[in-house]
Amino acid sequence: MRIVVAEDDALLREGLVLLLGGEGLDVVAAVGDGATFLDAVTEHRPQVAIVDVRMPPTHTDEGIRAAVAARRDQPDLAVLVLSAHVEQGFATDLLVGSARGLGYLLKERVGRVATFLEALRRVAGGGTAIDPEVVAQLFARRRAADHLAALTHREREVLGLMAEGLGNAAISQRLWITDHAVHKHIRNIFAKLDLPVGADSDRRVAAVLRHLEATSGAT
Amino acid sequence: MSTGALPRPGLLAILRSWVVAAAVATQWLVLGLGTALLALLTVVVLLLVAALCLIGLGLLLVGPALRLLRWVADLERRRLTAMGHATVSPYGPLPRGWGQVLRDVRSEVSTRRDLGWLLLHATVGLLLGLLPLEMLSNALQELSTPLWWQLAPGQATVLGGFVAVDTWGAARWGVVTGIVWALLWLLLTPQLARGQAAPGRRLLVPHPDQDLTALVARLGATRAAALDAHAVELRRIERALHDGTQNRLVAVTVLAGAARQALARDPASAEPLLERVQDGAELALAELRSVVRSILPPALEADGLPGALAALAAQCAVPTRVDVTVPTRLPVSIEAVAYYAVAEALTNVTRHSTARDAIVTVQQRGDHLWVEVADDGVGGATVGQGSGLTGIRDRVEAHDGTLEVHSPAGGPTLLRVVLPCG
Repeated sequence: MRIVVAEDDALLREGLVLLLGGEGLDVVAAVGDGATFLDAVTEHRPQVAIVDVRMPPTHTDEGIRAAVAARRDQPDLAVLVLSAHVEQGFATDLLVGSARGLGYLLKERVGRVATFLEALRRVAGGGTAIDPEVVAQLFARRRAADHLAALTHREREVLGLMAEGLGNAAISQRLWITDHAVHKHIRNIFAKLDLPVGADSDRRVAAVLRHLEATSGAT
Repeated sequence: MSTGALPRPGLLAILRSWVVAAAVATQWLVLGLGTALLALLTVVVLLLVAALCLIGLGLLLVGPALRLLRWVADLERRRLTAMGHATVSPYGPLPRGWGQVLRDVRSEVSTRRDLGWLLLHATVGLLLGLLPLEMLSNALQELSTPLWWQLAPGQATVLGGFVAVDTWGAARWGVVTGIVWALLWLLLTPQLARGQAAPGRRLLVPHPDQDLTALVARLGATRAAALDAHAVELRRIERALHDGTQNRLVAVTVLAGAARQALARDPASAEPLLERVQDGAELALAELRSVVRSILPPALEADGLPGALAALAAQCAVPTRVDVTVPTRLPVSIEAVAYYAVAEALTNVTRHSTARDAIVTVQQRGDHLWVEVADDGVGGATVGQGSGLTGIRDRVEAHDGTLEVHSPAGGPTLLRVVLPCG
């Protein structure tokens, strides 16, 4: 897997490169700002870009803008955005088009190497990875909470993992339940929330997130 | 004196206190005479300008005339304040351009009140200023008439010049009228001084309404500025924690993850990663300490600015001389910024300059605090991303101060922070 890393903090950038290299992944470039990142993407044509949100010069949303620009040039480039804290606006900005090949994770998730690599592979494969914190915040909004009251505890867990972008198999593994049980829960959730049932997992994520966004009120 | 009552002051003491009071009042009246003459001059100038306005030319002079009016009125305010009637200047900034000046003259309450004072002071004030001089000179002249009337026949007069003195009898009368003049001077002068000050005390203070609105506006502005500085300061702390400490800790987490991964595969390869983990944690600690120190250094509270800076210099690896000339304690926030700037500057000196000597100079000049850190090192310091200088600049600008860095390659380096502290 060819990867470009854009992260302005030198220590963290080095850590990422070491970690990914240790897993046998091919980091073709590691850069520290948005402009250099775009050059690197054009030059190396990676499959995945791991991008920090805040980078020089303004330290606001350079990473998001660079990622959006890179996706315009290479629509099938998978982008995993790393952020120091959850900014709801950025997550939904990214999902405006399609959630295909997109990830939004808090930086510290990288330390849980196995889970991080799972998310990275999912994004690289065209899936979605949304940070549990983002999902938790969407769940916590009052209107969303009212809406989700009809769901059982287990169904809410499943919905959360779906929103994070996990597939059925991953969900069954995570919750220690059978594939069949996951299927049953998902059917119930979609019926209760009146969502269209679809087989495609990334469209499913988008539908779930849009539903959560819509029911969570003004951001 | 068994009753404990105060001893009655003697007649002489009473007389002396009256003379002192009359002399002081005379002094104020003479100063008032000065402002009254200036007021008279200003009336003439204003009339001329008004006349010139009829042919258009005067419009250009309205601005300068207004400035003259304000100058004279302010002189009188200073006199009144010195007399013990605190009189604050009510003006906003001077308007620019004659259109604005005209609008200002029409709308500004204080200008109209100034004009009222000007007319009163140029006339009544002038006369009141002349009276005590007249009384004094009459008293002296007539008291001394017996001594000299024979030397200047036909010229000696009493009662202020109304009665000619040509006999010894008349000359003796001079003594009587002289004493009357002196008594008049003694008794009336304090009243005259009060009378001369009255128009100014009424008209040169801000109008009651204007006073409140101006006060509210001023308080509003300073409060907004304070809140602003506070918000900027919070933002700075948030940025420091976020971009510094938090990033370090994230890196530590990531490196720890990588180390665990390496442990599982090849324990020997984990060692360098663990070392980096430790480095990262230490960096995070150092940055956290620096953020905490930047909020409010404990040494500052205990020892004040001079003591805290001396302690900083003593800890500095480069020999550092400290020279602090600050007469009083300054606002805590200003002291904190000054301390922080010196601490960061000395850190830079130690880390980058290879200097042999450094000098820290802190001076209060008027309502500004000047903080200078100079070293004889290699120079080349710039305010840019990640350098401690950026932190200083952000902090200083939050308090409306300025940061200058003169650091040519090859040195020496001079860092100057100027902070308003009034």
